[in-house]
Amino acid sequence: MALLDRASPDVHDVGNPPLANRQQPRRYLIPLILPAVAVLALLSIYPLAWLIYMSFHQVALAPGAPDTFVGTANWTRMFGNPQYWEGWRLLALYSGVSMVLEVGLGTLLAVLLNRSKHEKLLITVFLMPMMVAPVVAGLLWQYLYNGTFGWYFWVLRSLGLLDGGTILGSSDHALWAIVLVDVWEWTPLVALIVLSGLKLVPKDQMEASWMDGAGPVRSFFQVALPSIKASLIIAVLLRFMDNIRIIDHFIALTGGGPANSTKVLPLYLYEQSFSFFELGYGSSIALTLLLVTIIVGKLVVGVFETREAKGPMSEEEV
Amino acid sequence: MSSSVLTRPDIDDDDVVAGPSGNAEDQVVRGRGARLTGYAISFFLGIYALFTLAPFFVMFTAAFKATGSSFDLPAEGDWLGALKKLFVFTPTLEHFTKLFSESNFERYFLNSALAAGGSAVISIVLGTTAAYAISRGRFRGRSDLYFWIISTRMAPVVAVTVPLYATFRALGLLGTIPGLILAYTVFNLPFAIWILKGFFDSVPYDIEEAYMVDGHSRWQALWKIVPLVVPGLAAVLVLCVLLAWNDFIFAAVMGGEQAKTLPVATQGLKSASGIDWGQIMAAGLVTVAPMLLLGIVIRKYMVQGLTMGAVKQ
Repeated sequence: MALLDRASPDVHDVGNPPLANRQQPRRYLIPLILPAVAVLALLSIYPLAWLIYMSFHQVALAPGAPDTFVGTANWTRMFGNPQYWEGWRLLALYSGVSMVLEVGLGTLLAVLLNRSKHEKLLITVFLMPMMVAPVVAGLLWQYLYNGTFGWYFWVLRSLGLLDGGTILGSSDHALWAIVLVDVWEWTPLVALIVLSGLKLVPKDQMEASWMDGAGPVRSFFQVALPSIKASLIIAVLLRFMDNIRIIDHFIALTGGGPANSTKVLPLYLYEQSFSFFELGYGSSIALTLLLVTIIVGKLVVGVFETREAKGPMSEEEV
Repeated sequence: MSSSVLTRPDIDDDDVVAGPSGNAEDQVVRGRGARLTGYAISFFLGIYALFTLAPFFVMFTAAFKATGSSFDLPAEGDWLGALKKLFVFTPTLEHFTKLFSESNFERYFLNSALAAGGSAVISIVLGTTAAYAISRGRFRGRSDLYFWIISTRMAPVVAVTVPLYATFRALGLLGTIPGLILAYTVFNLPFAIWILKGFFDSVPYDIEEAYMVDGHSRWQALWKIVPLVVPGLAAVLVLCVLLAWNDFIFAAVMGGEQAKTLPVATQGLKSASGIDWGQIMAAGLVTVAPMLLLGIVIRKYMVQGLTMGAVKQ
């Protein structure tokens, strides 16, 4: 298995064409992008405009009926609604906790996998949850948590860790139960990304650190950690983006309950838009979510670009 | 190793790449306690593998257990009874026959396959040309364009679903497979461009240049280097199929009954009168099995795709 990092500086000098050869005009490449841009524009700029329009209207549900302009009513309603802010709080809590668990556990797994003889087999095993449709993962875990048939419920009861009630039926436990599903499905992704960073740590450097008697923990922080920093940032940002993007686990497991204790903001938006058909109100929520995602997105692209900055043809513009 | 040579033809990868992982243990873990460390590592990884696999085991067995008695749990604390209940049962195909004879699952399967396959193919074609142009092009606003493309991928699915729903309603695309294909393409295309740009960046410009100096067109030059990015194409293809196949929100909102896909149909079994878990687990297995197979067969492309190219194997 060969793992490569585009950031390795020595890699790219070889491919660098002599400067004189680069002067060829490349502007006429633009037509090649047009089909892709057209599709994306039709389905992103156009809907975005629509989103902004809807956020200032009460959207009529009957086809052909006119929408009513309501000014900033949707926006003031949104900012004045405690459920909206609770949605942000739950989203932050959910993302934060699952991130810490996934990064911690994923890094540990990566370090151990790097030393294991069965690396390939184990990676195949760890990949499996990622192939599962998130909504199916949600259903599967709902079954495991189930108060009548659920094996995990039974195990927890048998160990005396659960007093009364069911796991998903308790507003104290439900969010953490969903965090565990997220950890199950996506920790391996973090592990894989970190592992690819670890592969770039020179072996003799690791060894030297061990020989100096630094011990596994210290040599990890001194030698390995600096090298996998970029990988960790990428993993964190990718996970964060997906936590905002994907609510399938919530839909399958709790639908926001009990007592709204798992109603993260995207789920609240989904409910307002497609259960209550408050499309105008939903649009203002969607726009705020979009804004935050774009900020995070800027960060993601920034990190990737920095990693690739030394690439042969990356950043110089004509 | 050969694949990495293909991705990065400009380097001798032995300089950069850590050796075969099998040796890593011998190299790093040394001295007294090395064996103990080895056991501890295996133990922890084993526990984690168990954590990963246990839900699959439960899903798999539940799908083949008869409805009724086999679904109740042993008395609390009866670990021996639990083992017996987990492993001893008479397998039956009743859930699967029911899915396909009464619940139309073969239609949903076909819908899923069409939507996933169709969007993957379109994403690959449009993505290749766009990624090539962004990688090679030197025009004003290139990086803004690039960021815009990527940001469409990052948009929260729900946020975009609202206006897309309205758009699709106006275009008459609700409840159609082409509608789903189009929706998935929006989300897959940026991804395709992202990954493929990385691959095109790693192909030295000299190759095309020499080729074009010989009098070939830009198109022919692109065609010439496509074989060098085949691993990227594979990663994109696998990932597009996976994302579209596993999607729930889009299909639930836009697909309706006509273009119902497997994840929607599986979730739909829940709301029917009472929950037949055996049925749902069987449906889940039908949904998951093709992707598991895909992931295991072409593992390295799956890894590349899922990590957005951060991991190159």
